[in-house]
Amino acid sequence: MTLAMETKTFRVPRWLKRHETLLAIILLIALFGLGLLNDRFLTLDNLLNQGRLMTEIGLIALPMTFVIITGGIDLSVGAIVGLCAIMLGYSWKIFGFPLPLAIVFSLFVGALAGFINGLVITRVKVPPLIMTIATLALYRGLAEGISQAHSVRGYPEWFYFLGQGSVFGVPTQLLVLLVLIVIAGIVLDRTTFGRALYAIGANETAARFSALSVDRVKLVVYTLSGLASGLAAWVLVSRVTTTRMDMGIGYELDVIAAVVLGGTSIFGGSGTIWGTVIGLVMIQLLKNGLALTGVKGDATIVVIGVALILSVLIASSLQRRRD
Amino acid sequence: MKTSLLTTTAAAMFALSFTAGGASAAGKWDGADDLPTSPLACDASGAAAPAAAKPYDGGQPTNAPDKAGKEITVVDVPKLIGIGYFNATSKGMQDAAKELGNVKVTTDGPTEAKIDEQIKFIDNYITRGVDGVMFAANDPVAIAPVLKKALSKGIHVVGYDANSTPDAREWFVNQAEFNGIGKSMMDSMAKEIGEDGSFAIVTSTFTTPNQARWIAEMQAYTEKCHPKMQWLETVEAQEDNNLSFNQATTLINKYGDKLKGLFGMTSVATPASAEAVTKAGQCGKIAVVGLATPNAMKPYVNADCVKSVVLWNPVDLGYAATYVMRAVADGKLKPGATSVEAGKLGKLSVVNGSEILLGPPFIFNKDNVTKFDF
Repeated sequence: MTLAMETKTFRVPRWLKRHETLLAIILLIALFGLGLLNDRFLTLDNLLNQGRLMTEIGLIALPMTFVIITGGIDLSVGAIVGLCAIMLGYSWKIFGFPLPLAIVFSLFVGALAGFINGLVITRVKVPPLIMTIATLALYRGLAEGISQAHSVRGYPEWFYFLGQGSVFGVPTQLLVLLVLIVIAGIVLDRTTFGRALYAIGANETAARFSALSVDRVKLVVYTLSGLASGLAAWVLVSRVTTTRMDMGIGYELDVIAAVVLGGTSIFGGSGTIWGTVIGLVMIQLLKNGLALTGVKGDATIVVIGVALILSVLIASSLQRRRD
Repeated sequence: MKTSLLTTTAAAMFALSFTAGGASAAGKWDGADDLPTSPLACDASGAAAPAAAKPYDGGQPTNAPDKAGKEITVVDVPKLIGIGYFNATSKGMQDAAKELGNVKVTTDGPTEAKIDEQIKFIDNYITRGVDGVMFAANDPVAIAPVLKKALSKGIHVVGYDANSTPDAREWFVNQAEFNGIGKSMMDSMAKEIGEDGSFAIVTSTFTTPNQARWIAEMQAYTEKCHPKMQWLETVEAQEDNNLSFNQATTLINKYGDKLKGLFGMTSVATPASAEAVTKAGQCGKIAVVGLATPNAMKPYVNADCVKSVVLWNPVDLGYAATYVMRAVADGKLKPGATSVEAGKLGKLSVVNGSEILLGPPFIFNKDNVTKFDF
């Protein structure tokens, strides 16, 4: 009779092996480490302030997650921010719209810009990369041409509440971002629309043959991307109290870095809002923590780059193990 | 159905852009700001109408800790780091810090002249807790909220080179009177290309405060004293070397023989324009006048491509800014003061309420350019 040795193998729970969890753990370690190096870093004041500064990128990163999950990309978001910022000021000063109407108008312009992206991508079948590179130049050029480089300043006091005010101590725009994060997370996780995004990203032809309205879904996500850029433009103008035609330059790279760092595959088919949020927070707090510790500006960019590469390596090694 | 939707959308988009473009084509943009100008007299005396003394219009810090005589840590956030001009101002600050003995100055800033990045740098230093912030603004209005935040935390704020709105800083060290620069630039150009020559301007961006001020003053002075000179175009080059070169070359190709002179409004644009003129083989045919550091212009001045370079001493500018910061921290420079002691520069006078004047602009030419090393 053999004595059966009962071996108890310790199985790592699945949720621990997810990319997002690993990222969250790295984030906590980094926060802790930076907090040790600098006593101003983990103060509520600083963290809330960083929340304020990361809102513009965060707002755009939410629909960008949707776009990348479908296997597309939107490089024109920075230019749309610039265009909407200009249209906000321009329609208020030159067209004479009352300021609330000017705000709505600039959001509409953002949505329209995204809609045009989506339209050409779905109807004319131009690859998203090409189309959004083209509209990046087009929308930036429109912003320059319309504004003729005039800045618009002198907004009324109430306008600055979004960008510079706080509600119960929390920066206003951060509250808006938090609400939208929750909504985006629910949409992605619990609705058929969210499910359709994953399906389209995993296999677009199969999705089409499964009677999913692929074109309509894509149109919606690109429009949302443009709309979010318009919202980010509103927050930005409110925060810096002026409009400039070079606003938003480079945003697309920051947004995509946050989304990819959060575990969304650039090839589409996987990704979560939760991951994007962690990626966003990680980049912002890394930059801030390093700057507070005395690391000079250019070196923080190096660190962000290294973090991005490490994240992609971790994600791909997890992917390989899963397969 | 699908095609008509696409064509209508495309048509609507084009229509929108054309109407928008057309609506704004009315006002031709030339790089000047909208503030009032005060051109100097046309003759060599260059005397301006005496301006009434303006009351102090700067901001003040709240509950600034008393650091009289004690060591202070100051951060300098220029428009961007890595160009000769701000390396020179930084050197001046380090010289002053060494002389004073109780000032520690760090220069840190974005690698591109972007206002959003500059705001983030200043914000981080506020959180770190410095005693003073010195800045050269990329945008006068956008930088104001973060500077006011610094003031509210008891941090002293002194600007140099490019101003912010007056209430966002305590003092601004102005390198030269804006109308003085306007006069020097236009007089130098008129001397080289004649009273009916035509010129173009290469600037940083249309909203950078100091360049916009200088162009506005140049315009006013030209209308007053050189009315027959023709301004062709102003282009932006963002303090980027390559872009300045490309823009200057484009201007040369676009206007051909009509272009007689190029203005470089930044220390990056002027050598790049001189290079463009040299590469196009137009040395001596197209005059290049502008603001630049002597080192950058030595090859062109020695080759007789550029006759004169207008500047002030940026090393002195950084030096003076540091002395002003020390005087403010010591409580020796209060609102309403009419002058401040600035070490080897002597007594500098307060003009325009809260600006401290470095002195008249300096003209570098073939005779003296070799004497300087910055």
